[in-house]
Amino acid sequence: MNEQDYILFEAYLTESLSKEELASFEERLLNDKDFKSAFELYKQVNGFLEQAYSKDAQEFKSNLETISSDYFNSTSSQKGKVVSLWKYAIAASVVIIFGLFMFNNFSNPTYGDFADYGEINLTIRSIQGDVIKDAEDAFNSKDFTKADKLFTELLEADSNNTEIQYYKAIANIELSNYNTADTLLENLSKGQSVYKHDALWYLALSKLKQEKNDECLNILKTIPEESEVYDKAQKLVKKLD
Amino acid sequence: MKYQKPHEDQKYIDGLVQNNSFVIQSIYNKFAPKVISYIKKNSGDETNAQDIIQETIITIYNQAKDKKLVLTCPFDAYFFLLCKRKWLNELKKRGTKEVTINEEVLSKDDDAFKHAEETSLYDEKYHLFKEMFNQIGTACKDLLEATFKIKSMEEVAKSLGVTYAYARKKKSLCIGKLTELIKASPKYNQLYN
Repeated sequence: MNEQDYILFEAYLTESLSKEELASFEERLLNDKDFKSAFELYKQVNGFLEQAYSKDAQEFKSNLETISSDYFNSTSSQKGKVVSLWKYAIAASVVIIFGLFMFNNFSNPTYGDFADYGEINLTIRSIQGDVIKDAEDAFNSKDFTKADKLFTELLEADSNNTEIQYYKAIANIELSNYNTADTLLENLSKGQSVYKHDALWYLALSKLKQEKNDECLNILKTIPEESEVYDKAQKLVKKLD
Repeated sequence: MKYQKPHEDQKYIDGLVQNNSFVIQSIYNKFAPKVISYIKKNSGDETNAQDIIQETIITIYNQAKDKKLVLTCPFDAYFFLLCKRKWLNELKKRGTKEVTINEEVLSKDDDAFKHAEETSLYDEKYHLFKEMFNQIGTACKDLLEATFKIKSMEEVAKSLGVTYAYARKKKSLCIGKLTELIKASPKYNQLYN
């Protein structure tokens, strides 16, 4: 097949052929066996690509990995937990933070009281295993300069990865690079990812760390009630008001 | 082919396509133990079983999403056959000579064989495609990845700093190149004829 044929295939699949072009295309499909088989393969490869890179498929895979490791962790005790550990870490640190919060009720709230990202675990979601692991280790050992560098590297390869964007933002709050952090968080909060509301929460915390308490308050008030971060946002609102 | 009524276990296929966690969990609970014990009896361990089961589920998902899959046999038989084939292939790759294939365990359900055959063929084609995709060169790879991730050709063009018409032309030529690589590979005739 020549280049023109591939361009035709694409136009046919995206339904952008004119009536005449369509008629002659379909006639060729009927009469030219090689043309037909080349088109079939083209269509199939297109389907594979769609399948390999679709958001649905990515989400399916990470969900499957979670269920799989939960299943196998519960059947064999010797294997380490992979997935849900950081969730527990966050839950635990939330409990501790609220504990501290009760004691500190009369002092001014600070970023450190509320930042509750805990340990992160990114390993299950990407093919760039080594960089991901290094980034995760750097973040967890609070080497935010290194973590930021690695997150940036990962984003170069996968600029739409909202999870990495989110943690890169947190690393930048820690590094007091507020412009970078706030821009990332603002974009995330406007998007549709699962980090949408968490991004608002950290954007508010970033303002808190910058001692821009009014801005912090205004952002906290935009966190909707159905969000998981709503309760802690409300506590901080009460404290600041 | 005449229309065949789906088996009641079609619910597992539909649940996978919908990424329904409850269904995925029940697949593990109901069908994984048999696969695990088979693999353990045949030179494997639990980690192997975990990988094989996960890969098999992904294959079923891909095929069902891409091609629609109407199951006319029990899911159990179909799933077990697929896992077993994958494991035997793995053993072959490792060069393990002694494989005890316990045919008694296999279902004699013809439809299950037919479905497993189709899915394995899809899987092999998919793997051939993946293998060739890794050979097409970075420019094409980047463009195609962007195209299928972002979906909107306008945005892809913008992010790559080229015109819409150019991006679309490039995309079709890259897919064309990929199809030629696939055709030229020795596996092609085996899988496509």
